[in-house]
Amino acid sequence: MNRRHSLNRTRLLTSLALLAVAGSVSGAALTDADEIVAQANLASYYPGVDGRAEVRMRIMDAQGREQRRQFTILRRNVAAGGDQNFLVVFSRPSDVRGTVYLVKKHIAREDDRWLYLPGLDLVKRISAGDKRTSFVGADYFYEDVSGRDPAEDKHELIDTTDEYYVLKHVPLDSSSVEFASYVTWIDRNTLLPMKIEYTNGSGNVYRRIEVQQVEAVQGYPTVAKSRVSNLETGGYTDMQFGFVGYDIGLPDDVFTERSLRNPPQQWLERPAQ
Amino acid sequence: MRNLPLFVLLLFVLLLGSTGAFAQQDGADLSRGFPDDDWDNSPATNDSGEPANADALGSGFADGDGWGDDDGWGDDWEDQSASKWLALSGFVEGALGSRWDEDEAVGRYGTLADARWRLETGWSNDSVKLTYKGDFLADGIDEEFDLDLRDVSIAFSPAANLDAKLGRQVLTWGTGDLLFLNDLFPKDWVSFFAGRDDEYLKAPSNSLRLTQYNGIVNIDFAWTPKFASDEYIRGERFSYFSPFVGAIIGDEPPLQVDEPDDGLSDGEYALRLFKTVNGVEYALYGYYGFFKTPSQVTGPFMLTFAPMSSLGGSLRRTLGPGLFNVEASYYYSRDDSSGTDPLIANSQLRLLTGYEWEAARNFNVGLQYYLEHIRDHDKLIANSPTPEFEPPENRHVLTTRLTYRAMQDKLNWSLFAFWSPNDNDAYLRPVVTYRASDNWTTTAGLNLVGGKDIYTFFGQFEDNSNAYVRVRYNY
Repeated sequence: MNRRHSLNRTRLLTSLALLAVAGSVSGAALTDADEIVAQANLASYYPGVDGRAEVRMRIMDAQGREQRRQFTILRRNVAAGGDQNFLVVFSRPSDVRGTVYLVKKHIAREDDRWLYLPGLDLVKRISAGDKRTSFVGADYFYEDVSGRDPAEDKHELIDTTDEYYVLKHVPLDSSSVEFASYVTWIDRNTLLPMKIEYTNGSGNVYRRIEVQQVEAVQGYPTVAKSRVSNLETGGYTDMQFGFVGYDIGLPDDVFTERSLRNPPQQWLERPAQ
Repeated sequence: MRNLPLFVLLLFVLLLGSTGAFAQQDGADLSRGFPDDDWDNSPATNDSGEPANADALGSGFADGDGWGDDDGWGDDWEDQSASKWLALSGFVEGALGSRWDEDEAVGRYGTLADARWRLETGWSNDSVKLTYKGDFLADGIDEEFDLDLRDVSIAFSPAANLDAKLGRQVLTWGTGDLLFLNDLFPKDWVSFFAGRDDEYLKAPSNSLRLTQYNGIVNIDFAWTPKFASDEYIRGERFSYFSPFVGAIIGDEPPLQVDEPDDGLSDGEYALRLFKTVNGVEYALYGYYGFFKTPSQVTGPFMLTFAPMSSLGGSLRRTLGPGLFNVEASYYYSRDDSSGTDPLIANSQLRLLTGYEWEAARNFNVGLQYYLEHIRDHDKLIANSPTPEFEPPENRHVLTTRLTYRAMQDKLNWSLFAFWSPNDNDAYLRPVVTYRASDNWTTTAGLNLVGGKDIYTFFGQFEDNSNAYVRVRYNY
C-alpha cells in the first residue's frame, strides 16, 4: 500500500545522496536515525541501477597465516532501497575457481541464495538462517555481501560529530543474530558507514568493520579498501575493490540459475581501460 | 606393477614431508608481498576512537592499474580478459586407506592408495568455452595407472537462450544429499566407500547437455549415447553379499557384467523441467535408460542392467530458518513391469524429504527421510529363488549430516550417517578436513558400515569399514 510512497522516498534519498557526493550539502545535520540509516544503506549497497567490481580478500588468522580469495561481483537493483540481485563469481584460488554465489535479496521475505560447486555440478541452496556465517572462510559474513535489512534493527542516533553520525542499532529479533547491538560511524558527507563495531551479550566489542579507503567512481563514493576484524580470535580479513563500474547495463537474466553453471563472461570481463 | 603400492606410499610420504617446506615458503612470500608498513601498522582507528579519515575522494580507479594504490598485492591476480587460456591449475594428492581387520573375502587390508595429479586448463571467449580437467592416477589397490578424465568438453550457446555442453562431463540434479532419486547420472560408489573426495562420487559421462531458458519453464536435457553405469561394488576392492552363494564374497568368482551397448537405442535420455517461483524451486524429471547398477541376472555370476524408465518431481524452498525439500521418483522396470520375473529388478517408488538448518553458529544439521518401496513385492518373494535375501517391501532410511566449521572455515568437522531402522543397518561417515592454506588440505575420515544381517544394503559391506587420510597440494 505504501509502495508509491516508499518509491518516491527512495528517489528523494538517492538525490540527496548524490548531492552529498557533489559536496553541496549545506552542512545541516540529519537528526532522524531511520533516515540516516536509510541513506547509508543506499550509499553502501544501491549506487547506480547496477554495478560491477572485482574484489580480492586477504584472510589472516591470529598466527599470521594467509588465505586469499578473488571474485567478481555483479549487482542489479530491482528497486532502489528494495530488492536486489547479486552474482559473485570466484576466480581464485584454484580450488574455489568456478564457484558461483547467487543472491536474490528480498525486503518483504527471506533472501534466496544459491551456491554452485563446479566439481560436483551441484547447485546448493543456502538456508535463510545461515546468513551471519563466514563467506568463503572470510571474516565477512554472507549478510555483509548483500547488506542487512535496516528494518531488522532499531536505530538510535547517539552522537553527531563534525565528521560522523554515530548510531547504535539493536536487533528486533536477537535470536537470529550473534550480536547484542552494534554501533556505526557514518560519514556525514558520503553517508558511508566508516566503522561498525559489534557488541556481544557480555558487552564486549568482538567484531569490527573499518573502511580504510574511499574513492569516487562515476560520482559515487565507493569503498576501495576495508577490513573486518574478529577481535575474539585475532583474525581479520582485508578486502579491496577494483575495476568498479556503475550503470553498465546489466540485464535481469544475468541473475538466474543459468549464470551459476554458465557465468556471464560478457559481464565478468574487465572493461577496457 | 607389483611395486605400485610402494611407489604410492613413497609419494605420499614425500608429500607429507614437503608440507613443512612449503609452509615456510608461504611465509617468505607473505613478507615479500605485504611489507609491514603497508598492512600491519596502518592505524585504522585513531586515539579518539573515531575511524581514520578516508582518503579524499580522488580521481577514481581509472588511473593506473585500477586497484588504486597497490599495497603489495602485486600483479599476482588474474585478469579476466576477453579471450584467453585459463591458467593451469590443479592439485597433487596422496591418499591412503585401510581396514583394521583383514577382509577374508577380498584377502587384504588396503582400501585406498592413490597418487593423483589433477591438471585443469581451458580456453574461452565470449561464445565458446573449452575445458580440460583430468587426473593422472596411480592406483595402488587396483595396481594400475589411469587417466581419469573429469571434464573434457566444449560449451557454447547455439541460440540466445540455449546452452550446450558436449563432451565428457559431470552432471547433477535433484535435491537429495547423498541420496539420489531423479539424478540417474553415474555415481562412483567405490570411490565413495574408499574415502576419496566427495567430488569423485559423481562419475563423468560422455554426454550432450542442452539447457533452454525461457519465461515459462526451463528445459534441461542430457543425452548419453552409450550407457554409463555406476561404478558399483563388485568384490575387487570391497566385498559384497552374493545371493548366488548366500555369503560375502570378493571377486572370486568374478562377476561377468554385460553393459547394454546395442547402438543408440541403448543410450540414456534424461530430462528436467524446472522453474523457480517466489523462491520455491519446482522440477519435473524424466529418464529413459537402465538401472544404474546390475539389476538383471543372466546366469550364475552373470549380470546385466535391466531397462528402466523413471518419472519424478521435486520441490525445494526455504522454510523457517532452514531449507525444506521433497522429491519423488517412480522407477518403471520395462522388462518386468508385473514384478513376476525374479531375475529382473522390480519397479520402485522412491520418496525423500529433508530439512537443513544452522542449529548453532557454524553448526549445520541436515535430516532426511528416504523410502524405497518395491512394487509387487509379494510377487518378487513368491518367485525369487532366494526370498530370504530379498530387500523388504519398504526400506526406510534416515540420514543426518552434522557439520561444524571452525578457524575461519579452515577446520571442518562433518558426520554423515545413514540408518535404516527396518534393515537394521547403518553407514557412518565422520570426516575432518583441515585446509591449512590455499595450497594445503588434509582430510581424514572413517567409513563405518555394518548391520544385523549380512545381506542388507549396508550390512553386506561390514567387512569393508575403513579409515583413510588424504593430503592435497593445490596449485
